[in-house]
Amino acid sequence: MKKKLDQYQKMLMVIIIIYSVFVALKNPQFLKVQTVFDIIKTSSTTMIVAFGLLVVMISGGIDVSFMAIALFGSYTSLYTMIKTGINNLAFAFALSAFIGVCLGLINALLINWLKLPPFIITLGTQNLFHGIMTTFISDKSFGSGVLPTCLHQFGQGTLFKIYTENGSAGLTVSLIPVLIAGILTYLILYKTMLGRGIVAIGNNEESARRAGFNPFIIRLFVYGYSGALAGMMGIVYAAQVNALYPNKMVGDELMIVAAVVIGGTKITGGQGKIFGSVLGVLIIYLLNSTLILIGLSSSWNNLFVGAILVIAVAVTSYQERVKNRNHLIFTE
Amino acid sequence: MKKRLLSVVLSIAMLSTLFAGCSSKTATEASSQAASTGTASTVSTGSKSADPADYKVVMIVKQSDSWFDDMATGIEQLKKDTGLNVSVQVPEVGDAASQISIMEDLIAQNVDAICVVPNDPAALVPTIEKARKAGIVVVTHEAPGTADNVDLDVEAFANEAFGELFAKNLAKAMGGKGKYAGFVGGLTMETHMAWYKAAVNYIKKNYPDMQNVADEPYEDGNSVEGAHDKALEVLKAYPDIAGFFDCSAQGGGICEALQENGKAKTVKVVSLALPSMSSTYLKNGSMSHGLCWRPADAGYAACYAAYLIASGQGVANGTDLKATGYDNIELKGHIGYGNAPLEFTASNINDYNF
Repeated sequence: MKKKLDQYQKMLMVIIIIYSVFVALKNPQFLKVQTVFDIIKTSSTTMIVAFGLLVVMISGGIDVSFMAIALFGSYTSLYTMIKTGINNLAFAFALSAFIGVCLGLINALLINWLKLPPFIITLGTQNLFHGIMTTFISDKSFGSGVLPTCLHQFGQGTLFKIYTENGSAGLTVSLIPVLIAGILTYLILYKTMLGRGIVAIGNNEESARRAGFNPFIIRLFVYGYSGALAGMMGIVYAAQVNALYPNKMVGDELMIVAAVVIGGTKITGGQGKIFGSVLGVLIIYLLNSTLILIGLSSSWNNLFVGAILVIAVAVTSYQERVKNRNHLIFTE
Repeated sequence: MKKRLLSVVLSIAMLSTLFAGCSSKTATEASSQAASTGTASTVSTGSKSADPADYKVVMIVKQSDSWFDDMATGIEQLKKDTGLNVSVQVPEVGDAASQISIMEDLIAQNVDAICVVPNDPAALVPTIEKARKAGIVVVTHEAPGTADNVDLDVEAFANEAFGELFAKNLAKAMGGKGKYAGFVGGLTMETHMAWYKAAVNYIKKNYPDMQNVADEPYEDGNSVEGAHDKALEVLKAYPDIAGFFDCSAQGGGICEALQENGKAKTVKVVSLALPSMSSTYLKNGSMSHGLCWRPADAGYAACYAAYLIASGQGVANGTDLKATGYDNIELKGHIGYGNAPLEFTASNINDYNF
């Protein structure tokens, strides 16, 4: 991550701090280590796919099929494990991520071949993947009793625990895949030529092509990468809820798109920060998980997220305009 | 050349739709004929004997899952017991549209009775009316709201009684005192809210030492994840909470949250539950009671009721529908209430596999 936070990320931090102080004043129960642990745990799945989506959005694309990919990958690999009796966590992650890569590549191939907006393509494949899974694999739900035991151990696993007079709280193991995904994304975006290519085609595909980047290869990579992270996330999700459903996750994509956009990613591509996305996800989960503490009903959550989303988009576009004027570019 | 090929293809396509249109028209004509002869035959039902084998009853379930698989076994049993010509239709997707198209087919086939567990009761009403106009008996399950449009709606229990069962089991598990919270799938879900209100009222009346932490139920959005996240919050906001009840079948999420916080032994959970999804929690003690009703028995009772009505024997107060818990139907308007709640604990959970 960059050493200096930009203006925009500072603004997000301020929002988080002000809101936290407000909640803490309303209900001191908020000021506990457990709060941090809970938010880390509940936001871990979203975090993983947000990194994948960030990379796709920086490249100028969008992916709304990643939840279907996560479901397809995790359901298929866990279903295989239930049927064959394999009980190995690494196998689950590997198979699910592999399926994710394959489905992501299908997205990239379709986008490249049909030359249609990625939104339409991935909206289609979202339904397509989900349909293929429920039609040809299975559409049954599986309870914790039949799931591989390694999964539950992972879902309930903690890095360390603190004990209080009132039960215990632990830092979830799910933090490890989140960190892996975050560091990997950082290395790819900032330390490789591929990362420069991703930003380049997001800014202007034609210029990138002339500079010697191959948009097709880059596109294959970003959608495959998004698929791989989605596959991993599916396993983390199934481990946390300790059950396997054929119809969960799909439908929650836009909340993650919102988180990434709140994090300062430009929807037209070419710009986006990892730490910004982390803050975006944190804001959404912070709002979501404190309503009971301050005694508001769940409908307030939508109101807050909606308001912050609109403000975030307005601020990014305003900053863009100011920057453009400073560089004497007049677009409007 | 290409254009010519295209025009040929297009005209073939147009021709074929024309033919398709004709053939479908003849099909509807045939079906309307069938329907009209159908009315005639039901008018003469009186002369038809009461032999169950003469009656064709079809059950349309919501979708394919373990719940309705169990319902199908109950209906299979009914076929064996009585010889009734009964079968099950499973829509490919769980929505009203696919149930409507199956119903349309059955109306065309002129069956004697249709039983349906509607995905969206109100959306089915026009088709139900069409079927009844064609002389077909329609029996629903889990649709008390549209009971006036059908011959009979079979319910496993009165909602108040089931709600009180949540309260009784929770009070017993908590020893009659302490703070508790209630969850529903969503504030707009009629049955969940009816159970929630009945439970809260019962506790208020009979267990003055128990306090509900909120005036309204928390929403888990019918997802385990939702139940888990909300439970974590409630645990933080009310560290001294001693019990939860969940009117949607997601109590497992609450149990997971309790296990994470090392509170599974001290905080009690009573939840609507499917045996297959909750056996682990009942066995490890994090869930003290699961509540439910048996889909096999409900399917059995609904189809048997459909046969009784179609054969002119009718269903009245106290009619025995031959299934456990439905042996003494309480008829209110068009709704027949059984008394068939199913309670699971760690000791009997292995007897059920739906």
